[in-house]
Amino acid sequence: MDAFLTSRPIGDLLSGIVGGTVIGLVALSLVLIWRATHILNFAQGAMAMFATYIGMTRLQHRLTVNVIGIHFTVHFNYWWCVAISILAGLAIGGITERVLVRPLYGKPEINPIVVMVGYLALLEALAGAIWGTIPITIQTPFSFIDWQLGGKTVLLSPNDVYRVVATLVVAIVIALLFRFTNLGLQLRASAVAPEVSRLLGVRVGRMLTIGWILASGVGAVAAVILTSSSFQQPLQPPVMEAPFAIAFIAAAIGGLESPTGALVAGIAFGVMEQFVTDYLNSNYVLLIALGALILVLMIRPQGLFSKRVVRRV
Amino acid sequence: MSRSHLRRIVAPAVAASLSIGVAVVGLTAGSASAGGVPGVTATSITIGATVPLTGIASTGYNEVAKAADAVFKYVNSKGGVNGRHINYIIKDDCYDVQGFGCSNGNQTTVQQTNALLAVPVFATVGSLGTPTQESVRNLLKAHHTPQLFVNSGSSAWNSAAKYPTLFGWQQSYIVESKILGTYINAHLKGKKVCFLGQSDDFGKGGAAGLAQVHVHPAITQYYSVNSLVLGGAGYFTPFISAEKAASCTVVVLYTIPGATAAALGNAAALSYHPQFVISSVGSDPITLKKESSAVSDVGAITFAELPASTDTNAWNAWDRKVLLADPAEFPGFTSTTPIDGNMAYGIGWGVSFVEALRAEGKTVTQAGFVATLLKTAFQTPGLTPLRYTKGNHQGLLGGYVDTVTSDTSTTAVAGKTVYVSTDSSKVKVTVTHRLSTSVPSWLK
Amino acid sequence: MSTFFFAVSDLRRAHPVLTRATLTVLFTSIALVITYFLDSVTNFNLATGAAYAVVILGLSFLTGASGQVSLGNGAFMGIGAYAVAIWSVHHATTPIVATLALATAVGAGVGLLIGLPATRLRGPYLAGMTIAFALAFEPLVSVFGTWTNGDAPIQTPLLSPPGWLASLVGQPTSSLTTTNMWLADISIVVTGIAFFFMANLFRSRTGRAMRLVRENEVAAELAGVSLPRARVVAFMVSAAYAGLGGGLFTLVQGSAQSSTFNLALSITLLSLLVIGGIGTLSGALIGGLVIAYSQNWINWLEAQTGVSSTSGLGGNLKGIIFGLALILVMLLAPLGIAGTIRFVILQQFKKHPISRPSQTADPQ
Repeated sequence: MDAFLTSRPIGDLLSGIVGGTVIGLVALSLVLIWRATHILNFAQGAMAMFATYIGMTRLQHRLTVNVIGIHFTVHFNYWWCVAISILAGLAIGGITERVLVRPLYGKPEINPIVVMVGYLALLEALAGAIWGTIPITIQTPFSFIDWQLGGKTVLLSPNDVYRVVATLVVAIVIALLFRFTNLGLQLRASAVAPEVSRLLGVRVGRMLTIGWILASGVGAVAAVILTSSSFQQPLQPPVMEAPFAIAFIAAAIGGLESPTGALVAGIAFGVMEQFVTDYLNSNYVLLIALGALILVLMIRPQGLFSKRVVRRV
Repeated sequence: MSRSHLRRIVAPAVAASLSIGVAVVGLTAGSASAGGVPGVTATSITIGATVPLTGIASTGYNEVAKAADAVFKYVNSKGGVNGRHINYIIKDDCYDVQGFGCSNGNQTTVQQTNALLAVPVFATVGSLGTPTQESVRNLLKAHHTPQLFVNSGSSAWNSAAKYPTLFGWQQSYIVESKILGTYINAHLKGKKVCFLGQSDDFGKGGAAGLAQVHVHPAITQYYSVNSLVLGGAGYFTPFISAEKAASCTVVVLYTIPGATAAALGNAAALSYHPQFVISSVGSDPITLKKESSAVSDVGAITFAELPASTDTNAWNAWDRKVLLADPAEFPGFTSTTPIDGNMAYGIGWGVSFVEALRAEGKTVTQAGFVATLLKTAFQTPGLTPLRYTKGNHQGLLGGYVDTVTSDTSTTAVAGKTVYVSTDSSKVKVTVTHRLSTSVPSWLK
Repeated sequence: MSTFFFAVSDLRRAHPVLTRATLTVLFTSIALVITYFLDSVTNFNLATGAAYAVVILGLSFLTGASGQVSLGNGAFMGIGAYAVAIWSVHHATTPIVATLALATAVGAGVGLLIGLPATRLRGPYLAGMTIAFALAFEPLVSVFGTWTNGDAPIQTPLLSPPGWLASLVGQPTSSLTTTNMWLADISIVVTGIAFFFMANLFRSRTGRAMRLVRENEVAAELAGVSLPRARVVAFMVSAAYAGLGGGLFTLVQGSAQSSTFNLALSITLLSLLVIGGIGTLSGALIGGLVIAYSQNWINWLEAQTGVSSTSGLGGNLKGIIFGLALILVMLLAPLGIAGTIRFVILQQFKKHPISRPSQTADPQ
């Protein structure tokens, strides 16, 4: 068993899954927005990056609050900062939808793409102007030292487990919300049939905003667990560019209508990346991804996990 | 109707274009060749450089040219060189990797170099990067503009036959790894060596130097910068895992600072603690901390063409004086701030330029300057004399083997022993001692 | 002035191709004369901007005519750039025209290759595929390192101006080389020709079919337009233009490096198309000029406001301006610069009909 867990393929599999969680989460957030508003959000990664800056630069800060004469001192530890980042992510999602996205509904496909590209450039530049462009290292909340078994390494650390668990928690919360709550039903209804939903009394506009809020929150979690990695990905303005672009490819393979597909395809990309880097050459990672994308979409133009949408006249 | 319209429009249009063409031919050459030396007046000399001030390669590297400029400003404050003040124009080239973090308006190194040529500049001095500077060699040559002290250890700068006015400054990557390999042979004899390098002239030069001194790594691996940017440090896990699996006890890294951080971080995660031997490009502990404050290369063996920060060397004190005199570019630099490798490096070639300009005398020409470079030995902060010849346009030929003693300091491992060699496989690494460590009086 | 305007309109209807040819020659000549008075940097940036403009012209056809969105045209540009770089290293004496034709052909070929699977895709899936292509370009160049020099740049032999050009303007070739004027001239002529062909293509049967595809796919199919074929053709044309622009870029820059043609470039090209004006050809030229001179404007702004370019704000000023410009253009003036100008002119004519109120401007 020890020899198995410390073997090379299992090592690649484990580190691939851990690396793929972030891609999966970003892909999930893209799908949530696509399903809700049929907009390709190119600023998804940048919004998450900005939210992470807002929260994580509070680390080590103290805040003294005066409540009816009593001073409370809040020492911002890691978890406080995570909470602030996620709240900031949710808020950014809502504000973005209300201010930037609302005027774009019903416009040609390229309009929202360009606005969100502009938003991406703006957010990255603002982050650089406010917090500087030197990478900020965020210590891992749990040890990043991998476990040892009989003198050999299992490519998994407590912090890796934290990343996977956080991803699963987010995925389960989103699934429960959509499946079993009234809000989830309204969200799904207004995404599939906005006109009918409106007639049935669903406040479709509000549902669209909530869709963006949720997606932006998921994105913030992805950016937080990506950057809470000590040495792997320090926080800097372009930190989410690559995960976003790869998540986009993953979401297209998995199917933009399918949250499960996005998550699975994201993690699968991470695993493929590790195996190809280890056994072949990292140059082939994106070539294989491009090949897989073409192949999958030739057979199923709506992605692996999406149901076929019939085009009506 | 349409016929008459046709004549009304087409005829004048054709006539207009023809007359314009005639006008072009008729105009005589009015180019403003003032006859003087480009960039040189009686009271000033203008030089320039293209460096990554912003973008993915800017961390640490954005300080180098500014530190050299601090030298120029310091010299200017003392009346300049032979009565001339030095104007230094630094252009941002983003290392030719455009992104949203780049603020140079999609200007390539070629475009920025053209802008410098139009100023005009006397020479480019201290432009940074192998790929970026390779792409402007022909352009600068065509304009008869010297390309001086290129910041990189590529052996491409040492080709006097093809590029007679092109000069590097630091030792080549090959020389550096020959020296590090010699150290491995002497002090880490019999240990299993692994090599991880960048997949370009930097990493390949490192591997070639080791081979010349018969260090043959059990595993030689190369990483691509593009994949590192895309995948983050997780991309390095297979490389470091393989080195651990091969039980290498010495790991040689020919890595840029971000990649050093990735390699060291992965090794720590794997509880793998070999003796690291790191190229000077990626070993500066202060720059490393900027890449990731979670990793440290304390205890690593490295190379330095400049005095170690713990040396009682007159240049170290002088460096500090120069940087303190430029609070505009180095805000927050105090008498206790550690000087990082990038600043010391920039000051190194900054001094080399003012020394050469002084040796050139009152009359300055581009051809004369190149001739002066080829016949003079300069006293610079570098540990070996800077002595260019027809066969050596590379620059320095050696330096110390250092060890990283803390997150802000390095110490020479063998006292004042300086190792020297060249790219040629026939030239062995030899040992010498530094002759002079004093700052020339005119610079004090 | 208005007589001239109507005369041009009449002529356009009667002899569309001839009129376009004449106007192209006229404007190209004017641009060529202007280069004579520009300094070397301005000329060099003009040449670079012209190369971008050719790429954006192709993108304009793809997006403006057939409605497809590509985020991979930076990589197609790279294909053309490398075709020219590799060719001219081995065959330095090939005439520029032939080298550029090669870049166009290689671009079209790769465009066909990528365009075939793309025909089945729409919206986000097509965008995803073109992003994958843009990201795969740099690794692709590395994989074929023996031809492409890997991550290191390919330096092309420095071109010298053709002798006939030197004799035409009465200057020695060395003087032409240092002023970069001839680079600007060649780029302007290439852009003029590319512009002429695109204008005709826009107005041709193919162009009309494309626009029908964009407006209403079902109607287009009923009218006998083959959707897959129209999409592939649009993809090929846009890739061919990207290849030509990339080839021109390499000639002007004197080198090609894979990192130049990254995803950020593809996104920038699409953004420039929008700022210039989707569906207009002059918009592509405006986009090319914007990218060529944006640095000058930012420098000017920095000088006016006193913001240091090395400060946190100054270092990110370009991003802030670029981002805000994209958002504001799309929200307030989605027709872009060219489209808005045309819209304003049309409004003027509606308000003050001079002789023929039914007159509509040719969308060009």
